Amino acid sequence: MMARNLFIPITLGLVIAFLIGPFLIIVAASFSGGETLAFPPQGFSLRWIAKVFTVESFRDSFFMSLFLAVGGTLVALILGIPASYALSRYKLPGAETIRTIVSAPIIVPGIIVGLSLLRYIVVPFQVGITLALFLAHTALILPYAVRVVSASLGNLRSDIEEAAVLLGSSRLGAFFRVVLPNIRGGIMSAFILGFVTSFNQVPVSLFLSGPGVRTLPVDMIAYMEIVFDPSVAALSALLAFMSIGIVFLAERFLGFSRYV
Amino acid sequence: MFQNRAEALALALPAALFAAAVFIAPVVILLSDGFRAPGGGWTISAYTEFFSSSLNQAVFLRTLKLGALVTIVAAVIGYAAAFAIVSLEPGKKGKVTGLIVLPLMISPVARTYAWIVILGRTGIVNQAFQALGLSEAPLRILFSETAIFIGLLQLFLPLMIISLISALENMPKDAIPAARVLGANWFQVFWKVILPLTKEGVVIGGTLVFTGCLTAYITPAILGGSKVLMLETLLYQQVTVSNNFVAASVIALILIVMSFAANILLKRVATARNKTRSA
Amino acid sequence: MNKVMLASGVALMLSMGAAHTALAQEKILTISVYALAQDEYKKIVYAPFEEKCGCKLVVETGNSVERIAKMDANKANPVVDMAVVSMADALSAARAGLIDKIDTSKITSYDKLYDIAKDPNGDGMSIGYTFYATSIAYRSDKMKIESWADLLKPEYAAHIAWPNVTTNQGPPSLYMLGQALGKDTPDLAAPIEAVGAAKDDIVTFYEKSSQLVQLMQQEEIWAAPIGRFTWAPFSKLDMPIAWATPKEGQTGGMNVMIVTKNSKNRDLALQFMDFWLSADVQSKLAEALIDSPSNSQAKVSEAAAKNLTYGDETAKSLKLIPSAVSLDNRAGWLKSWNEKVGQ
Repeated sequence: MMARNLFIPITLGLVIAFLIGPFLIIVAASFSGGETLAFPPQGFSLRWIAKVFTVESFRDSFFMSLFLAVGGTLVALILGIPASYALSRYKLPGAETIRTIVSAPIIVPGIIVGLSLLRYIVVPFQVGITLALFLAHTALILPYAVRVVSASLGNLRSDIEEAAVLLGSSRLGAFFRVVLPNIRGGIMSAFILGFVTSFNQVPVSLFLSGPGVRTLPVDMIAYMEIVFDPSVAALSALLAFMSIGIVFLAERFLGFSRYV
Repeated sequence: MFQNRAEALALALPAALFAAAVFIAPVVILLSDGFRAPGGGWTISAYTEFFSSSLNQAVFLRTLKLGALVTIVAAVIGYAAAFAIVSLEPGKKGKVTGLIVLPLMISPVARTYAWIVILGRTGIVNQAFQALGLSEAPLRILFSETAIFIGLLQLFLPLMIISLISALENMPKDAIPAARVLGANWFQVFWKVILPLTKEGVVIGGTLVFTGCLTAYITPAILGGSKVLMLETLLYQQVTVSNNFVAASVIALILIVMSFAANILLKRVATARNKTRSA
Repeated sequence: MNKVMLASGVALMLSMGAAHTALAQEKILTISVYALAQDEYKKIVYAPFEEKCGCKLVVETGNSVERIAKMDANKANPVVDMAVVSMADALSAARAGLIDKIDTSKITSYDKLYDIAKDPNGDGMSIGYTFYATSIAYRSDKMKIESWADLLKPEYAAHIAWPNVTTNQGPPSLYMLGQALGKDTPDLAAPIEAVGAAKDDIVTFYEKSSQLVQLMQQEEIWAAPIGRFTWAPFSKLDMPIAWATPKEGQTGGMNVMIVTKNSKNRDLALQFMDFWLSADVQSKLAEALIDSPSNSQAKVSEAAAKNLTYGDETAKSLKLIPSAVSLDNRAGWLKSWNEKVGQ
């Protein structure tokens, strides 16, 4: 039994060190006084964190990414929740086909998605880059929305709403009064997962950039192509803390990890 | 189960049509470019040409190898970690799961750059190795398959662990003690009891990890560079440097086929175990 | 919570829409440039020009090849009005019918430009705004570089980064290596072979030069061929790093301005180029150590000149690969590079 007692802390210690280590390096590098990423950091300063706020393109692309992540996830949920409901509660002809179509964006490499949208939607239909990015990000989030909401619906007994319908509630009324409140946590989890996926997405956005339009991660890469200083580390650390804050609140109030 | 078909279609079709129009249609057109003959008609010559190049063969095999390796190692570590987490008390469990999920929140760009610092000749890994006497001269890890492997594993391990946690939690609590009482050793317990009962978790986790490895761009680009090309970085090079959209289309289809094949293969492996058990 | 998210999403969409309509009222010039030093460009070039013309500049950034690929995709309905690219990419854009002849009568300082900058490709479709030397940055305490071939010496090769053939520095570096080897054919066969023989030793074939500062700092590499425009951050490192003057000489490149065919803002684009090429703006860019001036009237302090590639003499001494050679051989170079080095 001794071996078993040691097994748990050692395994978890190693795994967490491996997973979190790089993040700690990034955080440490953000406070570095030197000119490059280094560990241990050379000296201490806040200048790289300050610099993040002075780079104008970071601000523009931050709002672009925020817009894509929030807007794209909302639209994906508006499309995805009814679809998940249909898939889990109805005898649906071609259910498997629909499921495959909706989850296809996970399987296809992001670069292909970006490239094909550029070549066959942006160019022939004169669609703006912003709209194209929005469509791409929505499509990309959709599989996560459907998967998480479906899982959440699967955990909810369907006889409750059937009972509500038998008791005279309309199908729609039953959905809004009985189902929706019960899958709230799942929806929030889908929202967070979608937000994070979109916000950190690189390959899809790589080709979908135009004058003045660029997502934050692509902008970070472009910045690093020219300047390799710790300000990108500082920016990443700030963004990570933002995401962690959101997830922490979600876990606190909704039990996020149950749904992912 | 509700029976109203019209209602069901009305609910499900908007999502399906959206995905089909903005996603599947353009991707399918792009993929069809790889089969178009220059003078019209269809051909697979682009594919035979692609595979006739020894560089492309090497890149293809490397991508397959690294994807499979990362998936297998992630499954092994994932089982150990998921076991450890499931056996924690509920309060700790949430916190540890949070730590496991944490890397998913961090931009892959930043995570990958951190590895440049860690894996360098003067980085902490080499310092530790030399301090422990494991190596005399600093090892060259950066810009190698090893570096890509480490980067990809760190990127996708959380997905495997999370899939396995939920699978292990859904497993009947007395399955393992029962098998132990019946005299099975730990290896048999894993192979005959745990694996079949958690197959869904490992299939989902495995597909996510393998597909993730195939579609990751940043990690091979930064940690491997042009010295260690993967299909994804080769694809980007074909488009931006050579303007070769046909080759890009060929690589794209290869990547998609590999993802599907992996999914099917994993399902097969998992159900094959299941059959021997029930037989 | 959902309502708040929804509301903020809607607000964002509305504000984005509003921003777009606001833009539509003004004159807009869309330019496409290297991502280099955008903060400084904004201060020295973009903002003063916007004030002068009462128009709005929209800036796209990226590397030369990628941006040309995008211009090609948008050929029927060009987004960009003017672009700055490498000399060879300008010729490739010209051959692809993406750009027009430049009306040099609108460029007041045209006569003051160094001769090599006036019409580098001989087709009247490009004007050089800056040129740079390419040589080797190296750790003077670890190695001695007297020839381009020294980089491949067995004791050094495991500590160098070499530019990938797909980068702007790649072919020029191979060209100089060919000279050092005494086999400088346009197909670069001999130097590619030589690099291929050392490929397992060479640390990486870099694509982004900014990464080199990091690699240099953590002693992953001791040397790499780089363009002079990326020199400044190396000189700031706390290490003895020198700029080599190999006996074969230095190579380099020139960046040029081009105007897009069917652009709707041609006059504005030419005004912008005129402004950028003026002695005043060129001097300021040089003082900020960003671009070596191609305007001979630009005034550059001694300190700045030391960090840049400066002067008519230097300009003439650089061994540049002619654009046509570069373009005609590009596919071949990539092919033999992939065969010898890429795998």
